Amino acid sequence: MPFKAVLFAICFALAAGTPLPAAPIVWSGLVIAENVPQPAAIPPELTNLEQTLKDLFGYNQFELIGQSSKALKTGQEDWLANSKYFGLHVDARGENQSGYTINLKLYKEKDIMLETDANLSKSSPLVIKGPQVGSGQLLLVLVVKADEPARHRRRTEPANPVRAGYYRLRRAIHDIFH
Amino acid sequence: MKTFEEKWTAWLDEQLSGKELEEFEASLPDLAAARAEKHDAQKLGAFLKQRLGTQTLTNEEFFNHQIRERIERDEQEDVSERGTRSSWWTVPRLVWCGATALALFLITTFVFLGGDQAEEQSDYLTQILNSRVDPAANPNASIYIFESNKTDNKVTVLWTEGLQSLPADYAAK
Repeated sequence: MPFKAVLFAICFALAAGTPLPAAPIVWSGLVIAENVPQPAAIPPELTNLEQTLKDLFGYNQFELIGQSSKALKTGQEDWLANSKYFGLHVDARGENQSGYTINLKLYKEKDIMLETDANLSKSSPLVIKGPQVGSGQLLLVLVVKADEPARHRRRTEPANPVRAGYYRLRRAIHDIFH
Repeated sequence: MKTFEEKWTAWLDEQLSGKELEEFEASLPDLAAARAEKHDAQKLGAFLKQRLGTQTLTNEEFFNHQIRERIERDEQEDVSERGTRSSWWTVPRLVWCGATALALFLITTFVFLGGDQAEEQSDYLTQILNSRVDPAANPNASIYIFESNKTDNKVTVLWTEGLQSLPADYAAK
């Protein structure tokens, strides 16, 4: 009997101490890109994309006018990044093997200017060229980032076991054949 | 030229005669012992002939009839046994089994392996599933999708053209 109790305690301690994968955070930003004589430093959230944005759009300054970060706990969250006139509504509609299925809506005040559905990959940012604004350009940027271990999140809100099992099985079969 | 063994065998069978017989008997070291051996051999031969004579079948036809019947019966049993063993694997069942196995194979292939190409790509790139703009406000708008991997970043770009331009006030935070 004491042996069983010790074994149970060890298993419990191991389970409790096992770090779980990082909880992803989706960062979404409204960016005004324009060419100015003395460009300001690029916001830290866009540092990794600076050269890509410059190459793509040809502007030398990228200013954040609205942003939002959202930790995806269930993969079903929605959130809003706002500026004074624009709103970027992101509706996550579930996790898949490569990332998250999302629905994006760009609002100009109360009007929907642009709507898109995408599979947002964990390793590939999404950049959307919006309307011309003055001499600049509105850009929408979405990036999936990793957060600190989501131990508490996973305990309180377990993943869908059927879906998780399906992906696990699929991955195992995929590994066998490749 | 006969060997000694051949001459000995011929002597035992009393096939030697005349000069050949004389010469052979003269060559034997102990003629008396040889004659005693010859006597024993002849005695044994006579005994064996008497005991192992050919036995003639008295009911030859009946015996053949029984053998033929047994063969026919065995053949019939073989055929019926073969028929019983393979009765479950009828042609329709074989066809159904084959079709079921093929269907399972196809299901497995498409469900578990079919989406590999797209998913492998998705591991690296965000995919745009569909996009639309408000056609009333932006009648000439068009949308392009491409991927940029000029730098280390693999970025998916949704490029719009012809959206309604807005005044600089809209750049306010």
